Amino acid sequence: MNDAFVFALVALGGFLLAGALSPFEALGWWAGWFGREADDVARSAAPNPVVSGARQFVVFLTGIHSVSGETFARREIELLEALRERLPDAEVLEVFPYSVNNRALTGQRFFAWFWRLALKLKLSRVAFAGFIINLRNAFQVAVSADKRYGPIYNQGMAETIHGALRGHGYWVGSGVPVTIIGYSGGGQVAVGAAVYLKEIIQAPVTVITLGGIVASDEGLLALEHLYHLVGRRDRVQRVGPVFFPGRWPVLPYSAWNQAKAKGIIRVVDMGPVDHTGKDGYLDSEATLPDGRSHFEATVETIGNIIEGEG
Amino acid sequence: MAGAACYRLKVFVPNLELIFQVLALSRLPYQLVKSSEEGLRLALSVVFIAGLSQTLSQSVVLFAHRVRPRRFALSLLVGAGLYVFGFLFLVTSIWFVARYAFGETEPLLVVVRAVGLAYAPYLFSFIVLTPYFGSFFSATLALWNLSATLLALSVIFGVTLFQALLCSALGWLLLQVVQRTVGRPVQALAQRARHLAAGRRLEFNKNLKDLVRQGREK
Repeated sequence: MNDAFVFALVALGGFLLAGALSPFEALGWWAGWFGREADDVARSAAPNPVVSGARQFVVFLTGIHSVSGETFARREIELLEALRERLPDAEVLEVFPYSVNNRALTGQRFFAWFWRLALKLKLSRVAFAGFIINLRNAFQVAVSADKRYGPIYNQGMAETIHGALRGHGYWVGSGVPVTIIGYSGGGQVAVGAAVYLKEIIQAPVTVITLGGIVASDEGLLALEHLYHLVGRRDRVQRVGPVFFPGRWPVLPYSAWNQAKAKGIIRVVDMGPVDHTGKDGYLDSEATLPDGRSHFEATVETIGNIIEGEG
Repeated sequence: MAGAACYRLKVFVPNLELIFQVLALSRLPYQLVKSSEEGLRLALSVVFIAGLSQTLSQSVVLFAHRVRPRRFALSLLVGAGLYVFGFLFLVTSIWFVARYAFGETEPLLVVVRAVGLAYAPYLFSFIVLTPYFGSFFSATLALWNLSATLLALSVIFGVTLFQALLCSALGWLLLQVVQRTVGRPVQALAQRARHLAAGRRLEFNKNLKDLVRQGREK
């Protein structure tokens, strides 16, 4: 066997092993093997937050490039700041969508050092480190989309989002609407968690996906609306319509196609926009034919949707 | 001590080579087990480990029921043990069909050795856990195992692959009939063993969403 073949075999083995191990974080958390104690202690120790006067709560779920709840991508930070300015009556917060107990990868018990190193290398523009982070989080998106694990993972995310909302003064029973914005892989997690979150908070939940990779999740039918923001040059979001059979038009009874037929899903054309980086949804330099920057158009579209839903 | 480890390694490496050959769908491993008295332990080991891997791949139900780690490990062992029993029942029905429908005279143990080795693809059953692509991997492993089993039967009975397929299909059909009639008490016993190992009643047919909602309310 030559070296290239052995390398390919080892890489394939590592990939399959990583995939097979990926559901265990959510499953172990649900079974109470780990992660629960920290949640319970935090919940019981947290003082009752002051009730917020916000008329809307907006939860941002970042893309798969992230390692923690506080996103490090400059453009995403700018997006959140712009949304806070645009929506003064709304509380805008972030949740890390790739860990059921909202524990940042850099805060994990055993592998924090590994993810800190990966993040450091990624910030030093070592492409492979970025690939490892993306792969790890992409598997969590697949866990959310998988019927075998989705209910557990999405329930965990709903609890995490609920915890974050409470921390920002959300009061269950207030009926204040919540909008979840899922960027890229965060789109699937947003859709998956929304149905469980709605049951917990007993209030309307709307999802906005920005270049979202979304499966034909049954939770779609329980949403008020899903606004699916799609750039014409965004090839990443096309993973959804290709890899998730429920999104194929030939299956009219799939959750996705039913939700579309019922007007729950509204696809919003964002123009000739790419997924990320230069020419992406959050690029403030690239402009649309109408003169607005991609960034301005994205903020305006999201702002209009949230104001309309509120 | 070192001698014992060396001996184990000497036994282990040829076994590993044999398993690689099974995975590569070679006829050689079955020719070896046909002409040799040895191989029963290896075949049953392959089936047991495949059973462990298979039970692990279906362990969501254990997590969903919040089974504790020790009970989880016990459930895997019991699941693997039951898997070996299931394998023995299947092989016996294939052997029965081969003997009484096709007039083959190979002893049962030869069929156990050969078909047991053919379970090697199922050693990788744990990859079925991979989210979203699990069904694809599951179907691939089943097809791989079927190919190896047909090869095993064709070598030990000296028949064509089509005849091996017929023999295997009829054996499987016989097992289904037995399971649904006189085998019911055995199945109930197996289910009871699963509940006992898990330390609670496992609801295999319940929707996971309902289990999660039920768990949240507790």
